[in-house]
Amino acid sequence: MGAQVKTIERKGSSLQERLYLPEIFKGMATTFGHLWRNLLDNRKLYVRHYPEVQPEIPVRWRGRHRLTTHEDQTVKCVACFMCQTNCPANCIMIEAGERLDGKAEKMPVKFNIDLLECIYCGYCVEACPVDAIRMDTGIFSVTDNNRESFVLGLEELLTTPGAFSEEEYKKGGA
Amino acid sequence: MSLLDYVMIAIRVAFSAFVPLCFVAVCVWMERRGAGYFQDRSGPNRAGIFGFRAAGLVQNLSDGIKLAFKEDVISAHIKHKFFFVIAPVIVFFTAIVSFAVVPFADTLVLGGKSYIMQGIPLDLGILWFLALAGFSVYGIILAGWSSSNKYGILGSLRSAAQVISYEIPMGLAIISLLVVYGTVNLNEMAQFQGKLLFGFLPMWGALLQPLGMVIFIIAAFAECNRNPFDLAEGESEIVAGFHVEYSAMKFAVFFMGEYVAMFASSAIIVTLFFGGYQIPFLATETLINFAKPVAFLLMVALPVVIYFFTGWIRRSNVSHYPRENDPRVFEANVYIKCFWGLTIFLELVLLAILFSTSGGAAAGIFVALLQICTLLLKVTMMIFVFIWVRWTLPRFRYDQLQKLGWQTLLPLALLNIFITSAVVVALS
Repeated sequence: MGAQVKTIERKGSSLQERLYLPEIFKGMATTFGHLWRNLLDNRKLYVRHYPEVQPEIPVRWRGRHRLTTHEDQTVKCVACFMCQTNCPANCIMIEAGERLDGKAEKMPVKFNIDLLECIYCGYCVEACPVDAIRMDTGIFSVTDNNRESFVLGLEELLTTPGAFSEEEYKKGGA
Repeated sequence: MSLLDYVMIAIRVAFSAFVPLCFVAVCVWMERRGAGYFQDRSGPNRAGIFGFRAAGLVQNLSDGIKLAFKEDVISAHIKHKFFFVIAPVIVFFTAIVSFAVVPFADTLVLGGKSYIMQGIPLDLGILWFLALAGFSVYGIILAGWSSSNKYGILGSLRSAAQVISYEIPMGLAIISLLVVYGTVNLNEMAQFQGKLLFGFLPMWGALLQPLGMVIFIIAAFAECNRNPFDLAEGESEIVAGFHVEYSAMKFAVFFMGEYVAMFASSAIIVTLFFGGYQIPFLATETLINFAKPVAFLLMVALPVVIYFFTGWIRRSNVSHYPRENDPRVFEANVYIKCFWGLTIFLELVLLAILFSTSGGAAAGIFVALLQICTLLLKVTMMIFVFIWVRWTLPRFRYDQLQKLGWQTLLPLALLNIFITSAVVVALS
């Protein structure tokens, strides 16, 4: 099948265009139109007044991580190291321990995610066989003033709630 | 010399030294907010003192504080520290001194003595401006060379080549203007432009020399290293060009120098082509004779203008999201009260002029103030054009820039001289 060729008209060769100035004035009229419109009514600016007005986060958006729990608030993670192995940024550091409540054989004793290393690719979520790690907290602004506080521990990962309901999350394709 | 003489000297020197400096703040503010509005965003409007943002003007203050307190780095690889330090000073100094010859009001006559209203009472006029504008590139070349940095040297070489290729069309455009005006003195040029063309049009340089005006303005853009001719900086190609090694206050001096140069160029463009301090249709003598009707008209017009302006402030200065007891409404009310207070003060001043003796010193001073305001208004509009062009046009490529300078502007300027000379000879 032959490729469809569309010949695009080359601009800039007519006398009016080669004189520069008329075209420059046209461009200036366009920009002035924007300025004037915004000066008359600055509600028309295409801006979000950010700290006060937060952006809408869709369900599939990859935000800060969290660890999910069973109904009885015990950790779902079975310390299989799938996410740590899969992580391209090597930001997950798990230490496994024995699990005695009969839900699984292992559980994480330590589960650290270094957010300064994390590239938010979501491969840990993909890799997890038991849906224990998710990136559905909707937290996109991660700031602090020392490096240590960017390493999330097990406690923090477990207590951060998800921003969406279970149905919404499932509908999002996870 | 009497006390009045000293006072007048102090006033005119202070005016030509401090007004460009004050306008740096206004220019930066116009540039940043203007850029925002041209691009449908809001620009810096968050910095405030106790919630008073002054439409973003406070941002300048915080930027200034930041630059003043930043560490002033001179890298170890810089061998010629003296030239490195002196370069921004040259740029800034030449820019500010080139404004000194611009007359900001007509010659003021007080008590039988006349006072020239320009910073340095030189007859050189436009030649002084040309000399200093050409000299300012030395600062840029020195900066680039003494930085021992390839980006710096590339930027300064570009700037040097650009100035040579635009100085010539600029000079030639001025020659045709000099043929028309018959003087190099800027004050005489401004007085010439107070006359009327065909009895109903102000005899502005823009009407007498349209081609010369276009050439001069394009060359002035290049001279100021402004877009679309800011190849010396060229962020996308050579990082920041000549000031890549500069930090803190030395960078700030470059930055302010650029804006002062923009102000000075605008003032020269206005003086040469847009009637300088002249109010259209109202020459200085007419103004002095009709000081009272003019003052009365202003008294009527001022509240109307302020009414619409404060209405605009009230509409614009609100938060655009739901907010209880919106502090910006309170802020707007304070501004509106300030503006009305200013209006009342100006009305009282105008009232005093209405009751003063006609044709006396008061009328002279009133006319001078009126002309200063006119000049500053025109200059502000010209600065706006600079900003407008910057946020409309992309940067020229280097060869396009040279081609425009040598192959287009130079022949056009020469042609303009021939046409102008022929017309002047034919008419005289």
